[in-house]
Amino acid sequence: MDVIMPQLGETVAEGTVTVWHKKVGDTVKADELLFEVGTDKVETEIPALVTGIITEILVAEGETVDVGVKLAVIDDGKEAAPPTEAATKDIIMPQLGETVADGTVTIWHKKAGDEVAADELLFEVGTDKVETEIPSPIAGTLKEILVAEGETVDVGVTLAVLALKDGATAPKAAAAAPAAAPKATPAPKKSKPATAKQSHAAPISPVVARLLAEHSLSISDITGTGRDGRVKRKDVLAHIGGAGSAVGGDTEVVPFTYTRKLTAEHMVRSKATSPHVLQAVEVDFLGVEIARRSMKDSWKAEHGFSLTYLPFIANAVCEAIADFPRINASVVGEALHIHKKINLAIAVDLGEEGLVVPVIRDANELSVADLATAINDVAAKARDGKLSGDDFTGATYTLSNNGSTGTFITAPIISQPQVAILSTDGVSKKPVVIEGDNGDEIVIRPVGVLAQSFDHRAIDGAYSGVFLGRVRQILEETDWAAELS
Amino acid sequence: MAELAYRDAVAAAIAQEMERDENVVILGEDIAEAGGVFKTTVGLLDKFGAKRVRNTPIAEQAILGAAMGAAMTGLRPIAEIMFSDFLAVCWDIVVNEIAKARYLTDGQFTMPLVIRTANGGGSRFGSQHSQSVENWAMAVPGLKVVAPSTPADVKGLLAAAIRDPDPVIFFEQKSLYATKGEVPDGELVDELGKAKVLRKGDDVTIVALAAMVPRAMAAAKRLQKEDGVSATVVDVRSLVPLDTQTIFKEVQHTGRLVTVEENPRLCGWGAEISSIVAEELFYDLDGPIIRITSPHCPIPSADDLEDAYLPNAERIVETIRREVD
Repeated sequence: MDVIMPQLGETVAEGTVTVWHKKVGDTVKADELLFEVGTDKVETEIPALVTGIITEILVAEGETVDVGVKLAVIDDGKEAAPPTEAATKDIIMPQLGETVADGTVTIWHKKAGDEVAADELLFEVGTDKVETEIPSPIAGTLKEILVAEGETVDVGVTLAVLALKDGATAPKAAAAAPAAAPKATPAPKKSKPATAKQSHAAPISPVVARLLAEHSLSISDITGTGRDGRVKRKDVLAHIGGAGSAVGGDTEVVPFTYTRKLTAEHMVRSKATSPHVLQAVEVDFLGVEIARRSMKDSWKAEHGFSLTYLPFIANAVCEAIADFPRINASVVGEALHIHKKINLAIAVDLGEEGLVVPVIRDANELSVADLATAINDVAAKARDGKLSGDDFTGATYTLSNNGSTGTFITAPIISQPQVAILSTDGVSKKPVVIEGDNGDEIVIRPVGVLAQSFDHRAIDGAYSGVFLGRVRQILEETDWAAELS
Repeated sequence: MAELAYRDAVAAAIAQEMERDENVVILGEDIAEAGGVFKTTVGLLDKFGAKRVRNTPIAEQAILGAAMGAAMTGLRPIAEIMFSDFLAVCWDIVVNEIAKARYLTDGQFTMPLVIRTANGGGSRFGSQHSQSVENWAMAVPGLKVVAPSTPADVKGLLAAAIRDPDPVIFFEQKSLYATKGEVPDGELVDELGKAKVLRKGDDVTIVALAAMVPRAMAAAKRLQKEDGVSATVVDVRSLVPLDTQTIFKEVQHTGRLVTVEENPRLCGWGAEISSIVAEELFYDLDGPIIRITSPHCPIPSADDLEDAYLPNAERIVETIRREVD
């Protein structure tokens, strides 16, 4: 182990050895005072870094040398690392995205003993998000494969050992991750002759590179409209949308809005995450209808908006959740987290802008009238674009109100990480058989379907079904006129 | 709606908050009888009296030291530093005391104070009275940094700064003091940390602050007319907290980002925003991020040189023409 002149401050370039506390042949322990250094600024005591015997002192007391110069040698029983050890390199499972913790080796393109060049395709990794080709970070011979095809290991686990070519030094230990980012999987290099179009080597922007990779396109497929024929993002989008024609055609290309993109991503993820099961009940809304009608005009006059079915359903849902707490929950890992608060999310349609789902907090503490006002408020704020980030967080259960469009039934997609979502569909007059004084009778009633999608990881059909029955019972049997007055 | 000058909106915001909260006080050089050297505090002395509207000696350290003590003992002081260049004189108090008090005392002391200051060039004040130094403040953890571009934003954001529980440096742009704009009637309180999208386009997103906002808007209109390039213009309004979500949304839409700032090039705020966008949205970028800044040299005193030094609509148009293809 070499003892060197330490850097004793950002601007200090040299130091003077003022005192040696040990001489050649002495034994020194790690952290024991070894020597002192003076600079133009300070006098500092320097301890030994290792335990061993001092075999050599190269700079005498009073001498001034540059930072980094060897001052002495301590024999700590370890020879300098043999070159063979330094000349191997561990290939590790790379981090293929912020949230990805492990990966599966899908294909080894080399076997033990094969030579591999720097940047040559070495293996492929699959994660839940992407399949990525990993090139070798350095040239060498594949000495050993430690993780076989099909095995899944954590990020950072050594997959193979590469013996470096003679004279090559191992790059710093952590440098095994591929240069390639997961989104921009480099296509295997094909030795295509450069076309005239590419000879300008107009640069490919990151977004163009990503779009080409996502749609398995080649830059030469697309006509660039930028300077020097550069392919711009809109050229790729036009190519994708217009099936080859950059302009015109029968297709109008409407790029997704930000909200649309978020919705798309979330819906795909939710369907992939939760096994959805749909159940529905038919509800007789006579009691609700009587209450609504009895105060139709006075409510509108007082509040400025109409009283819909939704606050009644929201109220009944909150009441039913009290008996069925597992509906109001999230799946976290392999556990169900049951929420004590009921924060109801209400889906609000914004037309072309997309869909937003603001939250009404502690909805179980609100009366029907309060819920009506709260729902109207968040919907109005959503349409005016006045919702803040906080208005979207913490939802525990979601209502998707499709009734106004007159649908019969809708199979909603769960808003993650919740475990259920209810669609309220159109209420219309239907013949209903009831048991009257003279036996069965057919009467006309306002009937609507409530359809719930639930996450079958979290709960089962019986639980969900009885919950829906309870919601129906509350809606049909409560004296809503009394509740409202 | 009433039309107010940028400078009058300052006084209007302070009056609104002094009326609401008797703990709000204001101190600074020549702010009382004289109404401020930039006439931003006219009428406050008559309305609120000499106890709450105090002249100070020409000693910036004393102004901020007094404001800091007042804030620690229950008042909500508004301290005026006449020219933002002079913040350098009292930077120790700002950086080592005001910005850190909440943290060092584990929240036992908070620092609900506002440092108002006239910032920026273009008004022929020479190199020691014309600097745009919002990037200095942005570099100090513990400070909030606001710089409005319109009278309505001056009123709403200054009111929000006064109500904020932490120290806010409020940069008023000298060259905008005479500009006028509609300000809503009645109480006006805005939100710190929200950018404003002033114009929606498809080809490039221009992010600007303070005096650069009207110049970016003028450039966007010319680009639309002369080149058919449609530009989004975002007024950042608040550097700390920074509304990255709005910036991301607009950059994702156009794929291009151009920042326009008055402070000198090295470590200007545009560099920070560029860096954040490059990290977060690399695969949405359709070309390099471009920064338009003042050059890295002291701001010149000669009129022609001062004008050439500051980014203007012409330079924004030419840069976008050259770089955004």
